[in-house]
Amino acid sequence: MKRSFVIGCGKLGASIANELSRRGLDVIVVDADESSFALLDDDFSGDPKVEDASDLDALVDIGIGNAGEVYVTTGNDNLSLFLAHACAIEFRIPYVYVRFDDPTLGILVQGQPNIKPVYPFQLSRDRLSLLREGSEQQ
Amino acid sequence: MKIVIAGGNTQAEYIIKSYKSRKNELVIINPNKATVERLRKACMVKIYHGEPWSRIALEQANAFDADLFIALCESDTDNYAACQMAKKMFNAKKTICVVDNPANVEHFKKLGLDAVISSTYLLAQSIMSESSMETLTKTLSIDDNRIAVIEKVVLSRYAICFKAIKDIRFPKYASISAIYRNYQIIIPSGAVVIQPKDTLLMVTAPENSKNLLKYVEAERTEPIKPAKAEKKPVKEAVEAPAPSAKEPEAPAKPTKKATKKKD
Repeated sequence: MKRSFVIGCGKLGASIANELSRRGLDVIVVDADESSFALLDDDFSGDPKVEDASDLDALVDIGIGNAGEVYVTTGNDNLSLFLAHACAIEFRIPYVYVRFDDPTLGILVQGQPNIKPVYPFQLSRDRLSLLREGSEQQ
Repeated sequence: MKIVIAGGNTQAEYIIKSYKSRKNELVIINPNKATVERLRKACMVKIYHGEPWSRIALEQANAFDADLFIALCESDTDNYAACQMAKKMFNAKKTICVVDNPANVEHFKKLGLDAVISSTYLLAQSIMSESSMETLTKTLSIDDNRIAVIEKVVLSRYAICFKAIKDIRFPKYASISAIYRNYQIIIPSGAVVIQPKDTLLMVTAPENSKNLLKYVEAERTEPIKPAKAEKKPVKEAVEAPAPSAKEPEAPAKPTKKATKKKD
């Protein structure tokens, strides 16, 4: 089974890693700060690795080149952009999911079919306007 | 030429000052407020305060259609994002991405950036070339060490000296691109005769550079045959430590002894 990589173990990264682990997938979660792994479940079955994600060769050493899917959830958009490009273009990983705080960065991953960007800003805005429409109808 | 200089502190200042002229249109954008103020005073130019990887900031600074986009930020990935943005959204002709981690050079190039520079990488390259070659030889590596440009000063005792290029059977794996003589560049043709103190600029593959230098430095075994068309400058010919140069030493010895005896 191909492994799932989660890069960045913040709130979002940790909850994705927990969910993948619960589903029985083989997960590697990477963060430069060991204390961030406290967010993982007690029964987390995956493999937490302390690595600086800006050092791509360190990620290669722990086998990111053979990942089946990668979730990029670092707190730095530019780092996330680079990691998403590297995973999708250099390593040809079939599914690369990336979170961007700045929606304008999305243009730079357009046309790359294996990169799926997510923008919390847009998601919240769209959801809030839906909620407002719902309350107006009532 | 339109040049965008993104980020950077002292490097930015140096580049701004060297490109600041009427011919160039400079667009300078820097994410650090204190650096913006410092550069404004030091260079007397307009500087935008903003993040050079932000589409909005680059639009406000009018960074469209740059001939050259230079990213000098501290973070490698910031420079990566800025160069990608400049290429894809602002139609930059050429981007230069400066990186701190030499390992990023290869990765960034694979992801489509055309020039990636690491000072550590360059330093290591020049240390290696300085330490492996003689002082009269300089090498410059281009494009990830795939091309070597070698600069070599010709000494009169070399076999190739005083010979026309067409007569020396120069190795096929290399070529003489230019000869620098008396502050002038000579583009070599077969008839050009190599003179002492000529600086040869040679291009070859890095793996052939040692053999090339061996060839150039090979010393003359047979006496000099004057080249047909060219007149030899007399002074330089005398400097050649050819076998005939030993003659003046013989009369010199007695005079030295004579002075010693007087003491």
